[in-house]
Amino acid sequence: MARVIVVTSGKGGVGKTTTSASFAAGLAQKGFKVAVIDFDVGLRNLDLIMGCERRVVYDFVNVVQGEASIKQALIKDKRVDNLFILAASQTRDKDALTQEGVGKVIEDLRADGFDYVICDSPAGIEKGAQLALFYADEAVVVTNPEVSSVRDSDRILGILQAKSKRAIEGDDPIVEHLVLTRYNPNRVQAGEMLAMEDVVELLNIKLLGVVPESEDVLQASNSGLPVILTEGVSASEAYKDIVDRFLGEDKPQRFLSVEHKSLFKKWFGK
Amino acid sequence: MSEVIALKGSVLSLSVLKVFSDDFAKVKAVLTNKVAQAPDFFKALPIVIEPEVSPLAPMFLAQLVELLHQQNMMPVGVRTADPQLIEQAEYAGLAVFEPVKVSAEKVDKADQADKSRAASSAASADTPDQGALMVKTAVRSGQQVYAKGRDLIVTAAINPGAEVVADGHIHVYGKAKGKIFAGSNGNRQARIFVQQLDAEMVCIAGLYQMAEDIKPEYKQGWVEICLQQDRLVFNLL
Ligand SMILES: Nc1ncnc2c1ncn2[C@@H]1O[C@H](COP(=O)(O)OP(=O)(O)OP(=O)(O)O)[C@@H](O)[C@H]1O
Ligand SMILES: [Mg+2]
Repeated sequence: MARVIVVTSGKGGVGKTTTSASFAAGLAQKGFKVAVIDFDVGLRNLDLIMGCERRVVYDFVNVVQGEASIKQALIKDKRVDNLFILAASQTRDKDALTQEGVGKVIEDLRADGFDYVICDSPAGIEKGAQLALFYADEAVVVTNPEVSSVRDSDRILGILQAKSKRAIEGDDPIVEHLVLTRYNPNRVQAGEMLAMEDVVELLNIKLLGVVPESEDVLQASNSGLPVILTEGVSASEAYKDIVDRFLGEDKPQRFLSVEHKSLFKKWFGK
Repeated sequence: MSEVIALKGSVLSLSVLKVFSDDFAKVKAVLTNKVAQAPDFFKALPIVIEPEVSPLAPMFLAQLVELLHQQNMMPVGVRTADPQLIEQAEYAGLAVFEPVKVSAEKVDKADQADKSRAASSAASADTPDQGALMVKTAVRSGQQVYAKGRDLIVTAAINPGAEVVADGHIHVYGKAKGKIFAGSNGNRQARIFVQQLDAEMVCIAGLYQMAEDIKPEYKQGWVEICLQQDRLVFNLL
């Protein structure tokens, strides 16, 4: 039975799409059959980060509106088996998605034997974001270590607990996970960013992992590769840990402290 | 001879309904929807109407009063300086309040409160005489909890941007960073007890203090807040 996971944040530009792409790819690498859906109608980002923008024929809106079948619209990833992308429409407006339509797409994916359906939410707390989280069984809340991002995540948690299908129907609540990304231990140490402990204390949900701020992320996105598939970089390691912890492995948190090199520099000058 | 009546000045806290549209159908739709989300909150709520548009159709105010009654609220007055509206208000049997000039900062905060109230999705009390309303999970930004006619006990955090409101006392076993309103129906005996106070605002029966005016020594551990002669008094416990 497919689990539906929304990747959400409230605030924009915090790393939802980056996280959706890597999380989905990581789960597929473990052998699960995964679909990742771009809910950001009008912007279309996920297909770029996944490197399949030239292969989009039909998109999510076409399926919701009954203009294409789910099979026609799903794009199979070329690098990872069992990974499929449902792109957002660039040309349609946000109102093209309806709750029933989205529900039907999720039903179809369930019937198709998917293990996980990852929903990459648009920013905000309005209709688009609420649609992306409505059918969720679990939520990955993406936060940056800054006050406004944490506040928005708090807000979206409130909405998950009040406006999701599970909340409305009185089912078991959505399982909530925190991904703290763009974490820069130097700036945390300098007091310019919130520390992991403070964010976790305020949001009070389980920390899935910390992704360090890293240029490799942008580089990977520019070459159309989820960063988890790049070997030997910290952000990739961080996302692999996140997938492992999500699947129940108990791994210590990493990427929280200042690298030794820079500490060394601090003590002894250049 | 014992006193039969006494006339006293008193500061009451009333809810103000701002009306930004002159389209009655629209106002009706939005208001009905909002009430449906938390009918208990609005039940018997005294309301002062403050139109922010003019001119209004001659029957607008009368229709709105009728609608408020239908929705179980208690329209008591109109806040306006518009002579036409004052005339309509008198005709409708409503008191007229003078508009107050508030500082920009207060308008902002009032707006914020309005918004979070509108977005309120958290639990509200159902029936009175059940003891305190218990809330065991964090009250999050944008959520409001209202314990109507009773006390409120929160055994988790009240996060920044959240509001907890009770007609009675409020007890918080946790960190309180949002806004806390005790005695919200005007009960000046209501008290607030907080394990760790770092609130954006505390308020008892309409008298409030903002975060920057709360002394740091009261932010260390258990504190009790009560109202004495129109002043909020803080006691470490
Ligand atoms: N760990 C990281 N280190 C450095 N840059 C990052 C990291 N994670 C994401 N970014 C960058 O931040 C920007 C926003 O990321 P992304 O598009 O994933 O965010 P989003 O939350 O999906 O945004 P939106 O709200 O617009 O959908 C991108 O330029 C991305 O490369
Ligand atoms: Mg995005």
